[in-house]
Order: sequence, then C-alpha cells, then structure tokens
Amino acid sequence: MAGIADLGVGIGWRPEIDLTVERLPGVDFVEVVAENLHIGHLPESVTLLLDRGVPVLPHAVSLSLGGAEEVDLARVEHLGAVAEAVGAPLVSDHVCFVRAGGLDSGHLMPVPRTRDALDVLVANVRTAQRNLPVPLALENVAALLEWPDGELTEGQFLAELVERTDCWLLVDVANLYANARNIGTDPGRFLDEIPLERLAYVHVAGGVEHGEVYHDTHAHAVLPEVLELLDELCSRVNPPGVLLERDDNYPSDTEIASELAAIRAVVDKKRD
Amino acid sequence: MSGTPTAREKLASQQAALLNALLANGPAPDGFDERRIDVERRALLAKRRGIVRMLGPDIADTLGDRFQPLFDVYAAENPRRTGSRAREDAAAFAEWCRAAGELPTGRKARWKFWRPN
Repeated sequence: MAGIADLGVGIGWRPEIDLTVERLPGVDFVEVVAENLHIGHLPESVTLLLDRGVPVLPHAVSLSLGGAEEVDLARVEHLGAVAEAVGAPLVSDHVCFVRAGGLDSGHLMPVPRTRDALDVLVANVRTAQRNLPVPLALENVAALLEWPDGELTEGQFLAELVERTDCWLLVDVANLYANARNIGTDPGRFLDEIPLERLAYVHVAGGVEHGEVYHDTHAHAVLPEVLELLDELCSRVNPPGVLLERDDNYPSDTEIASELAAIRAVVDKKRD
Repeated sequence: MSGTPTAREKLASQQAALLNALLANGPAPDGFDERRIDVERRALLAKRRGIVRMLGPDIADTLGDRFQPLFDVYAAENPRRTGSRAREDAAAFAEWCRAAGELPTGRKARWKFWRPN
C-alpha cells in the first residue's frame, strides 16, 4: 500500500472529554479505543466528528498479539468492524501480550525480545492482518521490567517485525522515554533501527516519576523530555500524524489545548 | 511426540510464569530483577484497583480507608481470569467484602431494622 495520508495533530477521544475534543481548535484526527465501541451504537460525539470529516482511527488494546495463545479472532473481527463503521484507513494495537496461563494482566505487557517470541508475534500479526479490512499498525509499549535473555534491541525487534509482516509502526515517544528510563533503551539507536518509512503516526502522553521508575500514566502532563524525543523523531522523518493520549485525571480544556499546541510547535518547527 | 518445545510453547510457559508472579504472588521467574517484579506487581494492582474504584465508587466510599488494603488482599486471592470483565471484578470484590463481613448485606440491614436495640 502507498504511504499513510497526512493526519496532522490529534487527540485520543474518550467519553469523559467528548465535548472538549469537539470544541478544541486544531484537532485534525482522533483515535477511539476499539474495545469500548459497539457497532451500531457509536457515541454521538464520534458521529459528529465523522460528520465534520475528522478521521477516526480505531486503537485496540486487547488483541495480545505478542501472546503465546492463538489470536482471538472475535477480537480481530470487532476491530475490523469498528474500522468499517468509522471508515478508518488503518487500525492499531500493541507489541505486547495481555493474557497468559489463564490470567488477564489488564495491561500491555512487554514481550521477550527473543527470536522465538518474534516468530510467534509474526505469526499472530499475519493472522490478524488476514482478518482485517485495513492495514495494521503496531505500537511499542512502555515497560517497567526487562525480560532476561533478550537477543535483539527493541529497534531491531520492531524492524524485523515490519520486514516480515509489512505492518506499520505507531511510535509512542512517551513509551520510548519510559523504556530509556526504566530498562535502558537507547532512544537514538531505537530511532536509527526502526524503518521510519513505515511510520503510521506517533503517540505522545504524560507520565510521572515514582521511585526509581517512570510510569506512563496518561494521567499527568507531557514531560519536556518526551517532547524532545518527538523533536528527535521529527528531525529524522516528517511523521504523518501525532496524537496526544490522555486517559485519566483530565485537566482543563486550556491545558489540553496547550499540550496540543506544544506538540504542533515541535511538528511545525523549521528544520534544516 | 518430540520432546523439544515449540517457540509458542516456550513463550507460553514464560508468559504464564511472569503473570503468575505478578498477579498471583507466584515466585519471580529466573532472570528477572525481583525489585522490578515488585514495582510491576504494584503498578498492575493499582491499575486494577483504580478501575474497580471507578466502577463502584459507592463501595469504595463505604469502605473508606479499608478499601485499598481489602482490595489488595482480594486481588491477590483472586487474580483476574482470562475472559472476565472489569465489571465482574468489581461485583466479585463487593461480594467478597460482604462475605468477609466488611460490607453490610441486604439481610443484615433488615435484621438491624427490627433488632430491639
């Protein structure tokens, strides 16, 4: 498929901030959490945004594509149905596992960066792709712990994933920052190693330091260091889109608008 | 049958062992930093607790300061099973609290009504 269309600057649509998203100036696109939408009963606010021509991209959190279990096709089909209901050009989920051994972590857990884990991920991604009506982008997650015996860097792992599945990448610079802080990922090397021509768009989010680790909470302000990583990324490639995620502890409209403006300033910065 | 596990089987046991450590107080799998296992365990617990609080604010209010310690005991005894929903988790916690006498049951409330004191 050809490149991803220009998306601009966007924000994650959430029911708690539906009115905010509707009235904020300069929201070029939104993302919806696919698992929270019901086909045939789209929230009025999402319909309104669609009527305005705002692209709505479904983002999934439950496919567990990095998991050892076979892909749950009902979840993939739901994601595809949401994509069709909102006319989305692509969908996304994460390079992670959610469930294992009969337990549900309720979270996006990192996968071991081993050849074996990559083989399983590749097989799962291909299964998902075969059952989706639009291209799939996959996002790097934030880790609090490191698996032992890693054979690849995170950048190499993602590069090989793209090469073998032809998926797109959704690069979360806050997650990249978290991994740099928590598990020693080298952000420059990460950006060197991933195929930036397969970048679908970028996530930016806030978080907080807690003890020795950085928690990617989506409930705090975006750190300047995260915007610096966005700047670093933009110095290498002009990202098709950049989206702010805020999931809790919602600030005023003014604060959200200023975070979007700060993102836009980085994206629009004149570069040599 | 071959004795060599496939990539999928190997990954399944690695991931199951990690979630067992993080969600069900199992032992930290070899090679992990135990302090980070503990950080992750607490982060996952806080996330789950936050969702249950959001889904059942009345129960959290009734329990007050007892909410967090009670929830944490409940959660370790009852890790979320695959296929369960957050609402079921919140309902199961409330039920667990009633069974432990930490929340009034409907029946107790009625007894209270015609108890002579």
